[in-house]
Amino acid sequence: MSALRQYGALSRRSIVNTIRQPAAIVPALVFPLIFLALTAAALDRSTDLPGFPRVDSFLQFAVATTIVQGSLFGAIAAGADMAKDIEGGFFERLVASPVARTSILVGRLAGAATLGFTQAWIYLGITSLFGLEVEGGAVAMVLISLVSAVVGAGIGSLAVAFGLRTGSNEAVQGAFPLLFVLLFFSSAFFPRTLMEGWFAGVAGANPISHLIEGLRSLVITGLDAGELLNALAVAAGLLVLGIAAAAAALRGRLKAAHG
Amino acid sequence: MSAVTWAVARRSLVLIPRLPSTFVPSMVMPIFFTIVFSEGFRGLANLPGFPARETVDWFVPMSAIMGAGFAGITLGMGVARDLEGGFYDRLLSSPAPRPSLITGSLMAAAARSLLPFALVMVVGVLMGASFAGGVVPSVGLLLVAATGVSMITAGWSVAIALRLKTQQSAPLMQVGFFLLMFLSTLQMPLNLLTGWLHDVARINPMTQVLDLARAGFLDLVSWGQVWPGLVALAGMLVVLVGFAARSLQKVIP
Repeated sequence: MSALRQYGALSRRSIVNTIRQPAAIVPALVFPLIFLALTAAALDRSTDLPGFPRVDSFLQFAVATTIVQGSLFGAIAAGADMAKDIEGGFFERLVASPVARTSILVGRLAGAATLGFTQAWIYLGITSLFGLEVEGGAVAMVLISLVSAVVGAGIGSLAVAFGLRTGSNEAVQGAFPLLFVLLFFSSAFFPRTLMEGWFAGVAGANPISHLIEGLRSLVITGLDAGELLNALAVAAGLLVLGIAAAAAALRGRLKAAHG
Repeated sequence: MSAVTWAVARRSLVLIPRLPSTFVPSMVMPIFFTIVFSEGFRGLANLPGFPARETVDWFVPMSAIMGAGFAGITLGMGVARDLEGGFYDRLLSSPAPRPSLITGSLMAAAARSLLPFALVMVVGVLMGASFAGGVVPSVGLLLVAATGVSMITAGWSVAIALRLKTQQSAPLMQVGFFLLMFLSTLQMPLNLLTGWLHDVARINPMTQVLDLARAGFLDLVSWGQVWPGLVALAGMLVVLVGFAARSLQKVIP
């Protein structure tokens, strides 16, 4: 089997695996939506504050956060699936076969990217039913979903690295709150223009703020190349970092498997 | 209070140092909420109609209630673990009075809520909480609300554990509490909520409990601010402890 067909087969397995596990995928889709519904309803009046970006509603402000949140949730599933492959012995069988080592990672990352891409469209579609208007139009929606795919693959590769290092599904699931912390110490739920002191400094230094603000600008302002490039830079940085971490973890796991 | 009630409560408290991983999140989360909500949403204090001068006065009581709620949920998780491991069957086959199994959990929940409560108070003081109604009324009313909520979530989570008999029911215990909190005035006061959330929060008894918890932090306390919260606490306690008692009946052989 050629390397390309191996990539295809393992990517398909990862995507099918995700679709066939509603217990893993439904919370990743639904929780960010519930959280959006609650915060959009609770904080809608905060958009009247002087200094708040010009938006139609808090829903319009927060939808970018929901998309990134969904990618984070979905990415954890990629790491957990890798750990389950190790726990269940599938990884050992894969390593014993003549399959290209890179396809092990590529398959997982393709699954995470597909999930990130699909989730973005689902969130944009559902929130449109509740009055969301994306100022950048269809082009912005395509760009948002592409960035979401890169974020999914980036965070997914970090989760896969963690899954490879620990070989424990429980450990991967337990790492999720760390990502949640990163989200809360950013401008995910409130604009930086209304933050003060050390918190404003932390949120400003947090790359997640720039990722979300870039995506948010496509929703609330329109096509803004500078903001979009910021978001892309963070997403690409996450992907490069994640792939490097996953590759190193895979090498370590293979070395251990070969004694 | 029977000796069995004390024994059940004591066993739960002894498990804190022995199984810290089950208790630590209920201490860390409220501190995290205090910092993130008070600092991240600082701008809300400038909103006309917002009842606190500083957001820390609004979010410290909410965080203490969250911590107490999670402390109560650890009791349900403990019952689920005991059911899976078979210890609960041994308790049921002993001559221990059945109500003591529930009252012991409630006692333990109230005791477990004290540690996160104390930590949130310390963080609140460090962050400049003003205790506008005086330190004793502020802390006293919040303590009543927090211990009450810990017993309510203990009743809820023990009932779920007894019905489902698995530790995998933990997310359901947590989501139930999360929804009760988020569908109230957790983030914003009732006068600044709009639409469906305003309607839901108005009839959600947790809104009255949060009013009670926040009363001393926002202004001088009056009886009119206190009694609705006490009634809401008592009502939820009766319903959820009743739910736990009925669930216990179902597992008695």
